[in-house]
Amino acid sequence: MHQLSARELRQRFLKGETTAENIVKYFLERIDRLDKDIGAFLAVFHQSALAKARHLDEKKAQGAPLGKLAGVPVAFKDNIHVRGEISSCGSKFLTNYRAPFNSTVTDLIEAEDAIVIGKTNCDEFAMGSSTENSALQVTHNPWNLNVVPGGSSGGSAAAVAARLCPIAFGSDTGGSIRQPAALCGIVGFKPTYGRVSRYGLVAFGSSLDQIGPLTTNVEDAALVMEIIGRQCEKDSTSLSAPPESYLETFTNGIAGMRIGVPWDFLKGLRPEVLANFQASIDMLKEQGAEIVDVDLSIMKHAIPVYYIIATAEASTNLARFDGIRYGVRSARAKTLDEVYDYSKEEGYGPEVKRRILLGTYVLSAGYQDAYYKKAQKVRTLMIRRFKEIFHDCHLVATPVSPIEAFGIGAIKDPLEMYLADIFTIPVNLCGLPAVSVPSGFSPAGLPLGLQLIGPQKHDKNVLHAAYTFDQAAKFSSKMPPLAKQG
Amino acid sequence: MAQINRDTIKLLKQLCRIDYTEEEETKLLHDLEKILAYFEQLKEINTDGVPPCNHVLEDIANVMREDEVKEVMPRDVFLSNVPSHTGGMVKVPPVIKGR
Repeated sequence: MHQLSARELRQRFLKGETTAENIVKYFLERIDRLDKDIGAFLAVFHQSALAKARHLDEKKAQGAPLGKLAGVPVAFKDNIHVRGEISSCGSKFLTNYRAPFNSTVTDLIEAEDAIVIGKTNCDEFAMGSSTENSALQVTHNPWNLNVVPGGSSGGSAAAVAARLCPIAFGSDTGGSIRQPAALCGIVGFKPTYGRVSRYGLVAFGSSLDQIGPLTTNVEDAALVMEIIGRQCEKDSTSLSAPPESYLETFTNGIAGMRIGVPWDFLKGLRPEVLANFQASIDMLKEQGAEIVDVDLSIMKHAIPVYYIIATAEASTNLARFDGIRYGVRSARAKTLDEVYDYSKEEGYGPEVKRRILLGTYVLSAGYQDAYYKKAQKVRTLMIRRFKEIFHDCHLVATPVSPIEAFGIGAIKDPLEMYLADIFTIPVNLCGLPAVSVPSGFSPAGLPLGLQLIGPQKHDKNVLHAAYTFDQAAKFSSKMPPLAKQG
Repeated sequence: MAQINRDTIKLLKQLCRIDYTEEEETKLLHDLEKILAYFEQLKEINTDGVPPCNHVLEDIANVMREDEVKEVMPRDVFLSNVPSHTGGMVKVPPVIKGR
């Protein structure tokens, strides 16, 4: 059952070949057995998931109409609210915080009869590229338990890669869906900024954050987007564009599509990553795409721009965690200032503290023009550059990550970790849709990913091209040996 | 661009209201120096006459709605996450120093 896509699983359920209860029991048993070694889940909802499944079986018996995700177990990254459940965000600060409401995405997928099966591990407040910044547990890559799953949505990626659930949700501020998807050999989609409501997602960088799906195949990602890609009155940055249907044009192919490749920007890429990317480009050509060289050299500055803007926004957003309205209040605190000072000192891990301090610095009097405003100006130049490119091209292709999954504990320098985000962060800075689709394996047998980027609101083209690529490449069907256990 | 030193860290600590241990401060100082040195590269880019990006979406407009009272969250649900409360209100240490 774990080899099935979400759509196949639903079909089996609808045809009466299995029950929702059986599906949920099957995946719960897999989680109980396999997740001890992986550490993808922070919480597993045995009781509520089974109750929901039984309810769904009754609904079906009564002949009631069933949703587009009927009987499909899904997991949420622990910074997305599921009412009544802990939303720790991978932080000690929020280990006692129960979400008082559902995120809009949770509501939308529950309305389609999906079954929320658990919450997944992530870097603390989604700050990181390896999930090692989680204060709660280590998550291992199902392809090799000694390496990281990527991050920050590493728990969601590892859960889907190990086939512990067919769909998991993540959030992507600088690559946090796409990079772990690539490092775990699955599909990850970051929608156009505003396509998916951020209501109920704990904010990190509000101008960059998007919720999106991690799935084993492109069609499931598209199905999820048909459900969650809609305007929401609770998110004022939500796009006013009507919901799109993605699946119907999937079989059209990509003949005649122009795909830009920024060869200059890719200089210095490790040979094994470059070889894999070149092979992907050849495959896109074989499918009829026309490949053109594009200049994205300004993106070599994306890392400073991103880490200025993201930390500035984070330092503002995380001010709300004060130990007063929620969070763990320090027992040492005697005065109001001490409540803030000590609760944050005790509650936050090193990366969160580093980023808040950095964000406070770039926004502080005297430095704001040199850092924050400068970064926002360069961001304008980056948006313009992409716009020019998209006059001539339908999509842009790059690798997802310049490196394969690395050893747990291998990268200790924060700056070195930031540099690994070079190909994913321009997408967030410019509000673009982008997908990570499996593109094969490194010589060490670890998954690599191809990134396809589209203009704003062209989510459909991005998924469409990813589907055509995946149909030819077929790497998404590869499963880590550990996940093959029945 | 500016140098960062222990005094800067002290000021930033006050601004963001996080206490740091001595050991953390030393490590932070080292990390921030390195990160800020890397950020220096932005000086190379000519941004004369370029407006700062205020929003990535071009056609974004203010979203207005009627100012209506709605039930958003019952008080007991809100208070269930509050570390300390009394009589239906959030409790904090004294803010105004007493006599």
